[in-house]
Amino acid sequence: ILDFGFDRLGADQSQINHPVLITECACNPVQSRSKMAELLFESYGVPSVAFGVDAAFSYKYNQQLGICSNDGLAICSGFNTSHVIPFLNGEPVYDACCRTNVGGYHVTDYLKQLLSLKYPHHMSKLTWEKVEDLKMEHCYIAPDYAAEVRLFQKGDKKAEEKTRCWQLPWTPSPMEEAPSEEEIARKAALKEKQGQRLREMAEAKRSNRINDLENEIRDLEMLLQRLRHATENDIPLILAKTVYISKHDVESALAKATQSLRKAKGEPVESVEKMDPSSTEKYNLINVPDEMLTPEQLKQKRKQLFIKSTSEARQLKKQKQVEEELERERQRKLEEERRLENPERYLEELHAKHRDLSEKVEQRKKLKTNGGHTNGNHNASGGVGRGERLNPSQRERMRLLTTAAFDRGKGEDTFGAKDEDWQLYKLMSKDNDDDDDDKPDPDEAELARISSRLQEIDPTFIFKSESGSSSAEPPRFRPLTKEDFQIILGVERFRCPEILFNPNLIGIDQAGLDEMAGISIRRLPSKGQGLEEKITSSILLIGGSCLFPGMSERLEAGIRMTRPCGTPIKIYEASDPILDAWRGASTYAAAMQFPQQTFSRMDYYEKGEDWLRSYELRASIDETVDTIAAALHI
Amino acid sequence: MEPEVVEAELVLPTHMKFKKIQMYEKYPKGQARVRWKHLKQIIQAENYQNYPPDVPNYVNIESPPSMRPCKRICDVTGYEAPYFDPRTKLRYANAEVFKVIRSLPNDYVQRYLALRNAAVVLR
Repeated sequence: ILDFGFDRLGADQSQINHPVLITECACNPVQSRSKMAELLFESYGVPSVAFGVDAAFSYKYNQQLGICSNDGLAICSGFNTSHVIPFLNGEPVYDACCRTNVGGYHVTDYLKQLLSLKYPHHMSKLTWEKVEDLKMEHCYIAPDYAAEVRLFQKGDKKAEEKTRCWQLPWTPSPMEEAPSEEEIARKAALKEKQGQRLREMAEAKRSNRINDLENEIRDLEMLLQRLRHATENDIPLILAKTVYISKHDVESALAKATQSLRKAKGEPVESVEKMDPSSTEKYNLINVPDEMLTPEQLKQKRKQLFIKSTSEARQLKKQKQVEEELERERQRKLEEERRLENPERYLEELHAKHRDLSEKVEQRKKLKTNGGHTNGNHNASGGVGRGERLNPSQRERMRLLTTAAFDRGKGEDTFGAKDEDWQLYKLMSKDNDDDDDDKPDPDEAELARISSRLQEIDPTFIFKSESGSSSAEPPRFRPLTKEDFQIILGVERFRCPEILFNPNLIGIDQAGLDEMAGISIRRLPSKGQGLEEKITSSILLIGGSCLFPGMSERLEAGIRMTRPCGTPIKIYEASDPILDAWRGASTYAAAMQFPQQTFSRMDYYEKGEDWLRSYELRASIDETVDTIAAALHI
Repeated sequence: MEPEVVEAELVLPTHMKFKKIQMYEKYPKGQARVRWKHLKQIIQAENYQNYPPDVPNYVNIESPPSMRPCKRICDVTGYEAPYFDPRTKLRYANAEVFKVIRSLPNDYVQRYLALRNAAVVLR
């Protein structure tokens, strides 16, 4: 910062040849002072330095402007801290000054946190600078927090007026227009063409396959013929050239090839007919009683039994499915008829069913999440513990556990010694899982079915999603509207600056601004009734954070609470709260007596850093000689 | 930011004539940047106990805890909150807010508590 300042001021010599006046906070630690002095002297070569409290400069400046008098109170709320400093005879009384570690930074931070918690999906827009702008533009201090909040709670019209709405830039998602006639026709034509192409490809493949098969069959037939004509001895020779092992193989291959050819050509496959005679063949062994068969045949018989039972089971299942389909069709037809004859009543019934089911599902979900929560939180309270066990599956689980633990008894726990003991857990968790998974499913499926029906029929029905998602996720099934991109500042407008008066809201255990004024006056070393009145009748507000509208009324009300009845309280605002300190400092430095107030480099080298501890700037510079002597009081 | 600040170029020349020790000499590339001392360290180094207590110093002038009764407001909405949720330790104003609180995921709860400086800090 110093570099920047000096550079912009046009310093271009080898060192800065001007004395420097630096503002600091009240009762600055010596370390900071010494570091700053060291920096200035060593790095910049400044001849002399002076430190002064910014609030004092501001007060002096305003005093010169005639805003406040010689005795008064300065309430300075800055960025990180807020100070209250009383002034007596123009001098700040540091013994009685008071500091709270709450400032504009905390207000902005509070606002930022609140907004990001309320609107998590806009977190990227809520930068620090933006929030600070928001704070400066929209925040105000309510004269009475409780009353304001009650207005908002009741939803009063005044509250509506006070709510401000920040619209973020937002582009509406492009709506899908209903495809026009030409669109539909074009799409249909495309589909047709694609279908055509696929069909052609299939055709080509099929004809290829048929050709191959035919070739294969011809070869096989030729081979067979040769085999037939050949003698016994030649058969192995001929066969060795081909893949087949014996004549039987060749014949079976031929049969298979002809069959597939027939299938490819689209003739009814004879396999179905073949199944029946082959089935009788296959199962021929079953009917033969056991004693008459050889062991090999027994094995075959067992195989055949197995095959038969499985195929029968499959057939039964198929039948059942067909029946169910028919049943469902029938029901649907019935419903349709019912709907057509009395649409309203049907709709009502459907709505009622939907409502019941949704309630049931919600309740079960609540039970589940409640159980989950208590499981996770190790809650020791008895009432909640009981709620955990109410679920019948959980009860079963507890019963199993306690019986298992009890069985072993007699002081020794030998639960895990035998392997069978662990089967207990299999029982338990199965129960739990079954309960959790099976029960909701049919209900939820039913719910989904009903809601889809309702959506089809009733244009005004809005399906409320049962996802139970936290407030963090907006429901995704409807397109994002304009409202989603609005950030509404209602209560936050006056909730955030409230922390200046009530740091408890943030967790900082200190007094607020109005209380601080009382504390500061209390700490004054010299008391006197008239003095306090004089002080309270000239209270100056300085610092950036006092620019909130409504600050002075609130302060006045607050200070009146702590002071005896009837004291005059006048609160003045500085002419320029932010820059007044600098203006005051500049007028101070321009005065003739300024050089005596500084300490020079020689002093610094001789006396060292510790001397800085007792260095204090005298705020008011008079022309008299005494003050010059008493200027640097050590 | 004030418009003047934004318009001004914020880039400084590297060599300042008036500085005896330039920035690049102090911090050659690759070395650690300067570490500022924290406020706590500064205060500790001050040894304020050694000095008489009536002389004002940085620690002396801090304001004491507030005498007024604590104002209880709802953590979520900011309304007046007479109720307190034992499970999440949040304050709430009415039943709808309670529903919202119970449906919050855990890190949101911690963040609301952190606003009030009441979060559980695990180090």
